[in-house]
Amino acid sequence: MSLKNILENWSNYRRDREAGGHHEYEHMWGMAIDLNKCIGCNACAVACYAENNLAIVGKEKMTKKQGMHWMRIERYWGEPDLDKLSQSSSQYQEHGANFLPMMCQQCNAATCEPVCPVAATFHTPDGLNAQVYNRCIGSRYCSNNCPYRLRYFNFYSYYESSWPAPLHLQLNPDLSVRDKGVMEKCTFCIQRIRVAKDKARMEDRVEKEAAVIKVGDSTFRAAAGRGKLEDMEFQTACQQTCPTGAIVFGDMLNPESQVRKLWDGHQVSLGKTKQTKQNPEKRGYRVFEALNTDPCVMYMERVREV
Amino acid sequence: MSGNEINRRDFLKVMGWSGAGVALAGCDMPTTVTLEEGKEKVTSYVLPEEYVIPGVGVYYASTCQQCPAGCGIHGRVREGRFLKVEGNPDAPLNHGKVCQMGQAGVQGHYNPDRITKPLIRKGGALVEASWDEAMDLIKQNVGAESTLKGERFAWVTGTVSGHQAVLLQSHLDAMGSTNHFAHEIVNNAVSQAVNREMLGEAQPAYRIDEARLIVSFGADLLGASQSPVHFTTQYAKFREAPRGVLVQVESKMTLTGANADLWLAVRPGTEGVLALGLANALLVKHKRDAADLPADVRDVIAKYDHDTVQRITGVAGDRIVKVAAWLNSQSPSLVLAGGSAEGQAHGYDTAAAVMLLNIILGNIGRTIVSSGDLPFAQMEAKSGNTAGLLALADTLDKGGLDAVFVYNTNPVYTAPSHLNLAEKLSAVPFKVVFAQFPDETAMRADVVLPIHSPYEDWGTHVAGYYGNQISIQQPLMEPLNPTTRGFGDLLLGMLKMRGVAGYADFEDYYGYIRQAVAALPAEMKADAGSEDKYWQQVLQRGLIPVQRKPRSLTAKAIAVSLPDYAQDSEYPYHLVPSPRLGMWDGRYANIPWLQEAPDQISKVVWDSWAEMHPLTAQKLGVMEGDVIKITSDQGAIEAAVYIYKGIHPDAIAVPLGQGHEKEFSRYAKDRGVNPLKILSPVREAKTGELALYGTRVKLAKAGRNEALVKLGGTDQQMGRKLVATVTADVFRRTEGGQDVA
Repeated sequence: MSLKNILENWSNYRRDREAGGHHEYEHMWGMAIDLNKCIGCNACAVACYAENNLAIVGKEKMTKKQGMHWMRIERYWGEPDLDKLSQSSSQYQEHGANFLPMMCQQCNAATCEPVCPVAATFHTPDGLNAQVYNRCIGSRYCSNNCPYRLRYFNFYSYYESSWPAPLHLQLNPDLSVRDKGVMEKCTFCIQRIRVAKDKARMEDRVEKEAAVIKVGDSTFRAAAGRGKLEDMEFQTACQQTCPTGAIVFGDMLNPESQVRKLWDGHQVSLGKTKQTKQNPEKRGYRVFEALNTDPCVMYMERVREV
Repeated sequence: MSGNEINRRDFLKVMGWSGAGVALAGCDMPTTVTLEEGKEKVTSYVLPEEYVIPGVGVYYASTCQQCPAGCGIHGRVREGRFLKVEGNPDAPLNHGKVCQMGQAGVQGHYNPDRITKPLIRKGGALVEASWDEAMDLIKQNVGAESTLKGERFAWVTGTVSGHQAVLLQSHLDAMGSTNHFAHEIVNNAVSQAVNREMLGEAQPAYRIDEARLIVSFGADLLGASQSPVHFTTQYAKFREAPRGVLVQVESKMTLTGANADLWLAVRPGTEGVLALGLANALLVKHKRDAADLPADVRDVIAKYDHDTVQRITGVAGDRIVKVAAWLNSQSPSLVLAGGSAEGQAHGYDTAAAVMLLNIILGNIGRTIVSSGDLPFAQMEAKSGNTAGLLALADTLDKGGLDAVFVYNTNPVYTAPSHLNLAEKLSAVPFKVVFAQFPDETAMRADVVLPIHSPYEDWGTHVAGYYGNQISIQQPLMEPLNPTTRGFGDLLLGMLKMRGVAGYADFEDYYGYIRQAVAALPAEMKADAGSEDKYWQQVLQRGLIPVQRKPRSLTAKAIAVSLPDYAQDSEYPYHLVPSPRLGMWDGRYANIPWLQEAPDQISKVVWDSWAEMHPLTAQKLGVMEGDVIKITSDQGAIEAAVYIYKGIHPDAIAVPLGQGHEKEFSRYAKDRGVNPLKILSPVREAKTGELALYGTRVKLAKAGRNEALVKLGGTDQQMGRKLVATVTADVFRRTEGGQDVA
């Protein structure tokens, strides 16, 4: 691929499978996180440990950055935006901290997917970036390629030490405990999605017709027989516990969903490497959007009185 | 799943052996083997228990007992196992939300270091014993026939409320004692005393959601506070358009400070001076009406002009002007004191100076409103404080106690060294600790009674803050260990042991609570139809709403007297022992999730550290990870430094949580230091509380580096748009609301 070709076809790069309509979608799970509300309290991260059987690795392995925190709160001190404005060189951290809840962004043009030699990580008809533990051979190419650094590798058999009896009785039976040599990451609580989808199907709540749904600049062919789920019928673990309600999760294909309304309201669209906003003051943005990862997580800018 | 898991062949072997055992035992064995006898019946899941649907999680309402806030929770139960905590959406206190400590409660419940058998001290060491043995000992020492007299008996607890408080009081009455020492490190006792004098109510409600401006002097509302989740849910509303402004004044950045629009570092202990300076600016510059203020109050305020305040507090003049202007223009506002502001020798006057601002600004009755009185006064929370700890130490000093019962507090860990509490406690002839974990206090007891986890027990609770409901605690699963007992059951047992009239009919604590709910006024149950249906309703909802009777708050301005800032040449720095959401006062060091959950500010995991300003670091010549020795007049601790600009150069902050004795937990063993140990004997002058933030220290390089273990790499965004910030006027333009003038 020549440089010219890459530059000209950048927005289609890594997306050719999708553009051709590789999937008939059932859902397109997305998230919106309001940094005006997030206080960085870490409740979401601990809820994730509880829900998803995340291993405790201990101090020594944390030193080597081997923690298994699918959801982590990053904290930055530098504030380029405010420093420009206030032009103060205060000796204090006057506007507090910059907190960023960071988990798998469930990219629609994921950088991790094409590099997996065994297709252990792939895109589902739910728009999720799935990880098949049984298929994973531990090449770690995906982790190398993730610009967000949120894939976590099982360097050890953590189950041997992470849940000494009777702590193992807490493990969530809805999902597996991962063994050595396997990559893992946030799944948007796929076990909760599964339960909700099954329930909808059992209650015969299905969309009978196939449809073509436009979400921003992306067009999705939606499959007939997909479950008709209510918005907020279920929540991810992080969203459910978040004391400020900063995390909103839902189906982007559902025009009535809160998350879709937030994306639309903040004029952020899927399928772009640079948002063209009618009102550039709207707070929505995606992290590392220019890398053409097309993430399904939108953040809303932090706000400060100056 | 666990490391010592038996493989299939071993499993069959074990089955074979125990089968043979049963056969050999023959007719000696009862035909049905029950849990109590230590053996389980193996029942196929083809025939599930009633209400158990294999593979389906069921949620039961209960009340979180991780901190005294008392949030409503839903416990997820699958196949008889309690798996996860969620918030109870029906609970108006926390609106379906929980904090990380609430989430981590499940790891306390399944903690591998839980005490499962009664322990009795024999020949100096604690050894496992039977319940009969333990209860016989208690009967001998504090039963009806014992020689123990009245005031020589004491209860030491954390915050207690609801029927637990009622039964505790009955037990004290039965013993003829008034000694109930309630102790919590995270408390707002000084503010409560100030509120009592100035407002006529100890704990009014703060309407954070109604305020357009909050100026908090050290009150860590979102972190270590009276009701962190409640305050945080209100904060979320506060931040919606038109979006209130938060100013935090403190000497070490708390979680609340980290979310402030303007974080002001003050010289430790001068928060009150800044409050009076703001009052001065409001009266002089902004010409606020002060006619209602008594002359002596006006005289005090007049002394704190702009230059004086700037000199004493070290806060830049333009910041003082800005906050005063905001206070003048934004209404209603809310000004709060807490934590580091009230934990000083002059904490009372500091909190009173802060409350003066609310009076001048007319916030009383608007953002500070009456919580009112609970119709069932005896169930009201008895909130712990540090005066309780000091009173216990004093009483022990006088050799005044023959028997001490401890529940839900760990004073041996939290007491500063100068109190010599461990030594004094060991002089008491009979000490009983009702414990889940082998903590420092339990390890010094004569009898340790293993109690149920909060998820195995019954209870009722009334929150100390926002106690607008009787919260119901119900067991989420069968006791994990058949040899633990419920605290309420034990209390009832001890009341019966003393032959107290009226309790003999109750078989257990559950029966007692049932009876208490049955005795509620009929109008509260009108909708339910029947008593049984009402009980089911209560359990499903997890709470009984109660109407508190509001009072009218007074707004009594009092003259305060604050010291000028005094340098100390020998001990030039101020120690800030900081509690936080997560480790809290150190009680959660045994929970691996919380050990591995990074501190919100420094992002350090699994250890202690010392926070320091870059200027101080420069002065001492230390870099991040360099170990320093922090010495007070009571001793020294060592910790690696974390350097950032969220702390005053005169302050050194060491978080609470670590430095436990090795028996407590495999996760807390040999880990970090406990800054509470080196606190100086400084008391808050008017309330007698321990001045937690009143200790002066000196710093010295220890000459070694222990790299801090932190989450993440860089603190800077390096030009990447990770966390972008817009100004509030942009926010209001796009999302609604008037600009702050």
